Amino acid sequence: MLVLSLVLVPIVVGLALLVVRNENPTMSRTIGALVALYTLVAAVASHGSEWSYRWLSRPFEASFHFGDTAISYWLVLLLAICTLCAILATNVPRQRAFIAQMLLLEGAMLGLFLARDLLLFALFWDLMLLPVFFTLLGWGEHVATAWRYFIYNFAGGLCLLLATAAFGMLFGSTDVIGRSDVHLVGAWVPWIFWGFAIAFLVKTPVWPLHTWMPLTYSDTPSPMVAVVSAVQSKGGLYGLIAIGMAFMPDYLKAYAGIFVVLGVISLLYGAFVAVTQNDAKRVVAYSSLSHLGLIVIALASFNATALQGAVIYIVAHGLFSAALFLILGFVESREETRSLVRLGGLGAANPRLAGALCIAALAALGLPGLAGFVGELVILTGIFQAGFTIPAILALIPIVLASAYMLRLFQGIMNGPEVPDLPVRRDLGWLEGLALAPLVLALVVLGVNPHALTTFDASAYNAVASTLQGGTR
Amino acid sequence: MLPMSVPLLDYVALSSVIFFIGVAGVLIRRNPLIVLMSIELMFNAANLLFMAFSRAWAHNAGHIFAFLVITVAAAEAAIGLAIVVTVFRTARHVDVDDVALMKG
Amino acid sequence: MTHYQMGNPGSYPYLLALWLLPLVGAIVAWAFGPQLKRLAGPLCSALLGASFVATLLSWHDATQSVATGAANLVGAHQALVSWIPGFNFGLLLDPLSLLWTCIITGVGFLIHVYSIGYMEGDNAFARFFAYLNFFVFAMLTLVLSDNFVGLLVGWGLVGLASYFLIGFWFYKPSAVAAARKAFVINVAGDVGIMFAIFMIVASVHSISYGDVFGSVGSLSTPWLLAICICLFIGAAAKSAQVPLHTWLPDAMEGPTPVSALIHAATMVTAGVYLVARCAPLWSQSPDAQLLVGSIGGVTALAGAILGCVQWDIKRILAYSTMSQIGYMIMGVGVGAYEGGVAHFFTHAFFKAQLFLGSGIIIHALANEQDVRRMGGLVKKLPFAFVAMLVGVLAICGIPGFSGSFSKDAVIYGTLQHGHPVLYAVGILTAGITAYYMFRLLFVTFLGAYRGEVDPSDLGIRHPELAGTHTAHDDHGHDAHHAPAWLMNVPVGILIVPSILAGWLLFGGENSPWAHFFAQQFPQATLATPAVSEMTTTLIVLACVAIGIAIAWRRYATRDAQDTAVERLRTESVKMPAILANAFYFDAALDLVFVRSSQLLGTLFGRLIDPQVIDGAVRETAFSAQWLGTFVRSFQTGLVRAYAFILVLGVACFLVYYAVTAGGLH
Repeated sequence: MLVLSLVLVPIVVGLALLVVRNENPTMSRTIGALVALYTLVAAVASHGSEWSYRWLSRPFEASFHFGDTAISYWLVLLLAICTLCAILATNVPRQRAFIAQMLLLEGAMLGLFLARDLLLFALFWDLMLLPVFFTLLGWGEHVATAWRYFIYNFAGGLCLLLATAAFGMLFGSTDVIGRSDVHLVGAWVPWIFWGFAIAFLVKTPVWPLHTWMPLTYSDTPSPMVAVVSAVQSKGGLYGLIAIGMAFMPDYLKAYAGIFVVLGVISLLYGAFVAVTQNDAKRVVAYSSLSHLGLIVIALASFNATALQGAVIYIVAHGLFSAALFLILGFVESREETRSLVRLGGLGAANPRLAGALCIAALAALGLPGLAGFVGELVILTGIFQAGFTIPAILALIPIVLASAYMLRLFQGIMNGPEVPDLPVRRDLGWLEGLALAPLVLALVVLGVNPHALTTFDASAYNAVASTLQGGTR
Repeated sequence: MLPMSVPLLDYVALSSVIFFIGVAGVLIRRNPLIVLMSIELMFNAANLLFMAFSRAWAHNAGHIFAFLVITVAAAEAAIGLAIVVTVFRTARHVDVDDVALMKG
Repeated sequence: MTHYQMGNPGSYPYLLALWLLPLVGAIVAWAFGPQLKRLAGPLCSALLGASFVATLLSWHDATQSVATGAANLVGAHQALVSWIPGFNFGLLLDPLSLLWTCIITGVGFLIHVYSIGYMEGDNAFARFFAYLNFFVFAMLTLVLSDNFVGLLVGWGLVGLASYFLIGFWFYKPSAVAAARKAFVINVAGDVGIMFAIFMIVASVHSISYGDVFGSVGSLSTPWLLAICICLFIGAAAKSAQVPLHTWLPDAMEGPTPVSALIHAATMVTAGVYLVARCAPLWSQSPDAQLLVGSIGGVTALAGAILGCVQWDIKRILAYSTMSQIGYMIMGVGVGAYEGGVAHFFTHAFFKAQLFLGSGIIIHALANEQDVRRMGGLVKKLPFAFVAMLVGVLAICGIPGFSGSFSKDAVIYGTLQHGHPVLYAVGILTAGITAYYMFRLLFVTFLGAYRGEVDPSDLGIRHPELAGTHTAHDDHGHDAHHAPAWLMNVPVGILIVPSILAGWLLFGGENSPWAHFFAQQFPQATLATPAVSEMTTTLIVLACVAIGIAIAWRRYATRDAQDTAVERLRTESVKMPAILANAFYFDAALDLVFVRSSQLLGTLFGRLIDPQVIDGAVRETAFSAQWLGTFVRSFQTGLVRAYAFILVLGVACFLVYYAVTAGGLH
């Protein structure tokens, strides 16, 4: 039941918040934070438990089946932490409704990661688009962005739904996530595979399906985009692991070349574009394209080491991209601009803000000792071991570029002479500091000791690891 | 099979003739009342076939369908006439070709 | 095959202490900077001093040699954590890392003490010491790590510390740009090491030095060469080797103690450490040795030539650092490890001293760094003159001073290992070194003081770009123009090793130096060269004498001193463009890497994304729209037309069934 409450509590509270008439921003923030905290605690407490109720018997079996798997556990924790931090950092007009959307988003994504049934997965996949869509409509800068986000992702969701239905017809049940004995064969499987794959690649996103992403990331208010880029984008990668790799490994292997090529293009493309962007949030958006491309390569390489690195990097990217977006939100709320040309010299008056941005940017550029480096190093080692020499070499270029654009971002905002006509306001407040502290702390801890993220390799990772035939040695 | 004084093919021929008179009426005439009457003609051509085959094959389904068609035709006529009256009230004259508000 | 079991495993509290104390200092000074205020300096210095003491206390552990079976375990090995499965971290203190640790903590301690005086009054006093201590910790991580990933971690962290300290005065756009440049070039180097790690892991399945060096024999020659080249990319970026050296002169934007510690004594020699540490790899790959040795030689020569045409006192020293590291790399590259490492050892002292001495001058002249605006300082700053003089004599290799021993060891080593061309380069560079160092000395200290001369009369076109900060005041030192004892004492202490350190090499095979490294480096059998060591020394001395003579003639004769202003102006204005632009390395790197990246980024961001990809998406949308328009044309609104189409459709069906007989048969 606890695991069910994990999904229901945010949704119910979110809907309730939409209805009540109390506009006190502190109250709604407190409620939101408490719910997020509850999900964090409950996620830890309910680790390993399941809840199931039969949904359909015909034409295939489907259940309301919730429970975390070895990989989704980390995503659930990441989601709970990111939501908590984002809600603490929220300071927008119409706060109550915004917090409600945040909670609905969290509930939908918890449903996605906890779903053990493909049909349920597809249901929550589409559900989690709605809060972002409504937020873009209500708080975004352009209505067109909202539609672009929705159409791209909903088209992906449609592919996912069709593939799920076909999967159910072929296999007879969709209650399969987390099972290791499911292997699909037949003439239809390539279609099913690509149905899933397109949805996942749009969500991640991967070049050339990415053009919704920079707009969405720069238009959405920071607290929500922190969650979207940190966790929602991982829905696609999680799907690739939990569905593509687990049930259709032969096809993932057969099409690995396509995935590697798309991953490499995303990796390079995102990095090059990020170098030239002027909008601070777009720099981070394109860097996301670059970083997640690396994970796609890691998954396609079918190497145990690379996969291990991918899980570390998924968590690390979640942490630093959430931190980056939250900090950029703080900067934007103070200075009313995101333009790197216009910003500058904030570091002198805002040392704590500068310190936080510095650590987040350093983690993003893969500084040794922070979490991003571990993921990158392990992934690339694995890719190289698996024989993908050229991708491994090409993947080194974005590391250099990342240092260039991340430092440009940091220095463009914090360093240089103070810009006289910028409204200089207070340094990081205690609430904002509280919002960033868990993220920054986790980046350091995981960078120094990533052991926690890898110990599950032996015990709980077997579902996927067993499909890794022909691994390293 | 029951004996039939009139051959089945004659019914079919008659029904076809009536049906095509109806079709022609719908296509050619611009007065909605005549169009409605032509539609009735087509219904009844179908009814005639139902009855003829029902008798020829000694099967009750034809009767049942004929009643159904009569009911539907009555409802259709009622709605059709209501539309005609409404159109007439606003436009003061009725012509099928003038009612083109749904042009795409 | 030699088995490279590294270090005697055990628990070494002193080793842990010397490693972690600077980290404690960094965290405390960073977190409690506002509370500590002035105390941060003494605190961090004291912690580093304690670290140096701990280093001395672990001397015995580091030099122990325990015979176990076939292997001979040299040094101390302290296991740390298992980072991720298969990646185990540990600390290794053997003679090589001990040498570096001594310099890092010892010279680092002196520079810390010096900084208390130099940085006095700076707003971010505590932050400065936090960064300095963090640097020391990072550098110790680099040299104490027992594996390649730990090395890479240290490698990245020293790059970060260097970034922080170059950009310490982050409100100066030039400092910010220099810091970023240094960091990005160093990341390019990190990437080289990273790729070497991939290759090592793929072939050896381990990252620890011992396993890797033990299985050198199983690696194919091209593979080994590739590993060496990738490692050397990292070494070249960190140690400012051609063509990745362009960040080092710019790095002089940082405070002078930083230049002394990071960009002269320790961090920039990390490349030398890397090559020396991986000696077992290089020794098996003659091609890699030739490549590294050649790049070292080219760097030594290029740095020396560019040193001759600089006017900023710190940039002269920066190019000389580059040149001297070129010597070291040349030495360890060709296989003369002991000589190359010895040059690191002596260089750390005399170059730190030169920088600290120039810091006294800069401090006394209110941040003036242009030597054209100095002159006659021998009376004003006699102590600085003595300090600089000893440093210059040492770097030029005047017999008896430390530099002569180590430089001769490197130059002669190249000949011993069969590289006569590098030998010639080394001798030539020694002559040029003597010229530009004495030029620095003469222009700065002799003649009349030129600080009141109008900058344009000295040929200074852009005073603000030439390192001349007349109105700039980073710290409130106006109250005391004479350097405080805090600054003089460390320099005074450094004079001793600057003169004496080289004597450790005295005695050839039986010198203390040779004994110290007896079990460290692979020994190659050497042919006896045609030229003896004594002759080499004499040739070098002759070149040095010529260099000094030219410098004397141009800047120190009575006549030259009287017409100094005019001479300096002519020399500045008539400087050849290729030298003024430092052989266009900066421009080339900018064009090949920076501009091309920006071009690609603009192309992708402005053209491909909005036009091609979104264009395709738009076209899809438009085609749907077109289809809609087309279909709409059938919606006439005429009921009779609909009826006609309907009838036509029915007719089509009828015809179809009539022709195919409706499937009745």
